[in-house]
Amino acid sequence: MHTDEENKLRVHIGEVLANGLETQLEPFPETHKEFAELLADLRELPKDDLNAKLVLSGFADKPYGPDQMRCLECMYYLVHRKWCDLPELAVPVEPDWYCRLWRI
Amino acid sequence: MANLLWLQGGACSGNTMSFLNAEEPSACDLVTDFGINVLWHPSLGVELGDNLQKILRDCVSGAITLDIFVFEGTVVNAPDGTGEWNRFAGRPMKQWVRELSDAASFVVAIGDCATWGGIPATAPNPSDSEGLQFLKREYGGFLGQGFKAKSGLPVINVPGCPAHPDWITQIVVAVATGRAGDIGLDEFQRPKTFFQSFTQTGCTRNMHFAYKVSATEFGQRKGCLYYDLGCRGPMTHSPCNRILWNRQSSKTRAGMPCLGCTEPEFPFFDLAPGTVFKTQTVMGFPKDMPEGVDKKGYIAMTAAAKNAAPAWAEQDIFVV
Repeated sequence: MHTDEENKLRVHIGEVLANGLETQLEPFPETHKEFAELLADLRELPKDDLNAKLVLSGFADKPYGPDQMRCLECMYYLVHRKWCDLPELAVPVEPDWYCRLWRI
Repeated sequence: MANLLWLQGGACSGNTMSFLNAEEPSACDLVTDFGINVLWHPSLGVELGDNLQKILRDCVSGAITLDIFVFEGTVVNAPDGTGEWNRFAGRPMKQWVRELSDAASFVVAIGDCATWGGIPATAPNPSDSEGLQFLKREYGGFLGQGFKAKSGLPVINVPGCPAHPDWITQIVVAVATGRAGDIGLDEFQRPKTFFQSFTQTGCTRNMHFAYKVSATEFGQRKGCLYYDLGCRGPMTHSPCNRILWNRQSSKTRAGMPCLGCTEPEFPFFDLAPGTVFKTQTVMGFPKDMPEGVDKKGYIAMTAAAKNAAPAWAEQDIFVV
């Protein structure tokens, strides 16, 4: 995907979230087992169903939780590309966004 | 001339295969250059039946001086403590192990099974296996806490699944040439020269560890394997990235997570689907932090590293 396309998609995702898309922020996958189950569910989704992906992974356009977790500190986040490198997500993101697949 | 006897208990022969592949020094070098007399070895010994039993009995009685007793594999105690599941040369192997250990000047445990039980001793441990002087992290094992060989040293543990070929031969040479006193042992009786540093020491992916860039799939040409793929390099004591395998590479250099096989708890994973080769986490944090790092420090380190990461750290670096 080219940078322009990524930028457009990032803007689009931002708009979808700002417009009130209700996502599954909870429950947070407590251990690697729940995390693996969530990944398996994500793999079952149709590849082009972006909204379903955002809902299931619990996307938010702001930090979340008592520790204010956000993409910037997540290990899947690529700072320069502003990209989530988790293969099951693989979407452009903003550093202050969040999803429940957050890991550090 | 130093007499060496090598026996094998509950094992897969992996450490024998490793030993036979040694290069610095090689198994042949032990004989030709360092004056080691291999009394018997499961893959090299020519004696069978009565002739082998005579060698073993002579070692026990002192008719043959046993300088180095090397043991590979677990001590099998099943069933009911008899050891009958692992008979050798006419009786349970565990009886030979006890008597030969008492007769030897040095006892060397090679590989995870002989050191702390390894895979066979993993719960539910059906063969009632244990290592020579440890059962996993618990001190004691088959020979007991107080055991010392005639030299005054406890069992010298050279763990690994398998142990690197040169760890084996270099320790044997050190013992055979009178330099055993120079071998400092750590709390698990591993030679410090090999096991004081970490597997991560010398890893080619250390830059990605520092900048918190993760490999997320096998075969990626960038990224650290610790964050997502379960690599135990930062917590495991071994020289795998200092003394390379086949003089060429290591697991992590090849993109394969370290399994932590030189530590007593190996294998760590519960083997449930999705947990092997996946970093185990609790509320998003690694269950096992790099040694000496606490949660607060880890968060601070991550934020700083992410902010400082250069663009190249996100791109493929190990190109063909």
